[in-house]
Amino acid sequence: MSKKVLVVDDDPDVRSFVVTVLEENQYMPLTAQDGIEGFEMIEKERPDLVILDVLMPRGSGIRLYRQLKTNENLKKIPVIMFTGIALRSFLKSQKALDEFKGGEVPEPDIYLEKPVTPEELVAAIKKKLD
Amino acid sequence: MSANKILIVDDEEIIVKLLSMSLRSDGYETVTAYSGEQGLEVFKTESPDIVVTDIKMPGMDGLELLKKIKEIDSEKEVIIVTGHGDIDSTITALQYGASDFINKPVRDEALAIALERAKAKISIREKLKEYTENLELKIAEATEEIRRKSNFQRLLIKSSNDAIVAFDHDWKVVVYNSEAVTMFGEAAKDVRNKMTIDDLYTPKIAQIFKNQAKEEKRQNTFPWRENIINTKDGRQIPVRYTSNALYEKGEFVGTVNFFQDLTEIKRLEKELVQSERLAAVGQTVSGLAHYVKNILIGLQGGSYVVDVGIAKNNTEKLKTGWGTIKRNIKRVGDLTQDLLTYSKQRKPEFEACLPNDIADDAIELVTDFAGSKNVLISKEFDSGIGEVVADPQTIHRSLLNLINNAIDACLEDEDTSKKHEIKVKTYIGKDNHFCLEVKDNGSGMDKNTQKQLFNPMFSSKGGKGTGLGLLVTGKLIEEHNGVIEIKTRQGIGSTFTIKLPYEKAN
Repeated sequence: MSKKVLVVDDDPDVRSFVVTVLEENQYMPLTAQDGIEGFEMIEKERPDLVILDVLMPRGSGIRLYRQLKTNENLKKIPVIMFTGIALRSFLKSQKALDEFKGGEVPEPDIYLEKPVTPEELVAAIKKKLD
Repeated sequence: MSANKILIVDDEEIIVKLLSMSLRSDGYETVTAYSGEQGLEVFKTESPDIVVTDIKMPGMDGLELLKKIKEIDSEKEVIIVTGHGDIDSTITALQYGASDFINKPVRDEALAIALERAKAKISIREKLKEYTENLELKIAEATEEIRRKSNFQRLLIKSSNDAIVAFDHDWKVVVYNSEAVTMFGEAAKDVRNKMTIDDLYTPKIAQIFKNQAKEEKRQNTFPWRENIINTKDGRQIPVRYTSNALYEKGEFVGTVNFFQDLTEIKRLEKELVQSERLAAVGQTVSGLAHYVKNILIGLQGGSYVVDVGIAKNNTEKLKTGWGTIKRNIKRVGDLTQDLLTYSKQRKPEFEACLPNDIADDAIELVTDFAGSKNVLISKEFDSGIGEVVADPQTIHRSLLNLINNAIDACLEDEDTSKKHEIKVKTYIGKDNHFCLEVKDNGSGMDKNTQKQLFNPMFSSKGGKGTGLGLLVTGKLIEEHNGVIEIKTRQGIGSTFTIKLPYEKAN
């Protein structure tokens, strides 16, 4: 059975691109439009991998990432951050949150800065799933 | 100079000698002569201050001598010595200008008194002369000073950078300097002492100055004001002006007006705004780069999906990919238009239009999208607005921008339990404005976001905004002589109100 990959991105264009890449590589795509929908989907579907945008209305990627990594049942699900935000800015916000909320959240497994070619995306997914 | 030198003339030698001795002992200097002829000679060479002469002498007598002396110097004091009862000679001597008379035989006291009187007269005359000379000098000085001052004032008025126009109490032009010629375009010779205030100014401007003259004298000057002057030759000049009503001893004597041409300043101001705007566009570049990158990502993603669709002959994929590409092409188009609108000067194109209909069009464009995001758009239009003179483009673009922002504010709202709603309202506002209001119950804004709203490059939408939207809207409204007002509360929602001048179309 093909592996389930959840794409959380508010931009329909990004979703259709990633979904197509996943289909072309025999994965089973799932989609969510924002962090809140994304979290519901993860709990329900238990995907094998999450591809997560950072800046989204209603529940940002930053918050969802934290939710996953601090949840005992979900923290093992690998996450690829897929975003237009530079890694440096993302880590800075994570660090600020660490200090604010206490505890430490591990850095994302893979961080991809858009734009990303289909090949780069596939390589990143394979690295986590194969 | 004290009168000290005395000429004594008498044909009787002894008398001359006696008098001379007596006067010398009183401290005078004396010269003497024994006949009229000799007396005249001595007078010419010695130039005495006072002459004492006998009237009766052989040859040239005293009267003749007096006459000759007065011809030489009318101010010389001549004392005549007469015999008793010689009234006729005395009268003649008076006519010739004799100073005084003493009777023979000459007594010392009488002579002393006559001399003192003569000396006093000389002294007064000298003082008078001094005063007169001084006065002439002073008048010459004063005249020079006045000439200089008036010349200075004339030059001052002439070379002033302000246009100066002064009227007398009948409102006739009396001062009209060269700047005024430049400003009003009428030659000085046709204006000065010929035109009245009504000939030179348009009625509106003339009335301002006339009213001023009617007002209390205490307010005879008013602060600089700005206005547009329409010249008779059809030019419009932005000016700064002030005026002084002139009073002399409480009487109104005229008015002087000062005008400063602001054309150049206004042009520079405009240029400054323009260059600031261009600088702002420069600042936006980093924000823009981000935005353009997102478009690029969209286009690349879209073309990948289209490629897959072609390879697999999958119509569904083709449609999806093509949709992505078209959306991103539109984003490029919108961005280009925003940039052009923002960086170029644009004059609103006024025409008769119906704001309510334009608002309807704008709402129509976004209703489907809003609906797909569960945002309800409602409207409340005041049909009383009717047809107005305005730029339909400005209304349409501004409103569309505000509605799109409102939708974004609803989508960004963390509170998903709210039923999100946007209300578009039109109404006639106070002080002759009509208003277009967009009210949402979305996320609202914090103080910091509010402060930066009209800053270029600022976007609260991450990479999804150009940071140009509100900037462009603000500029369009400003060019339309309108204003945007914002009320917002974080977590409650925002209300944006556009106020535009209300001019009903005929």
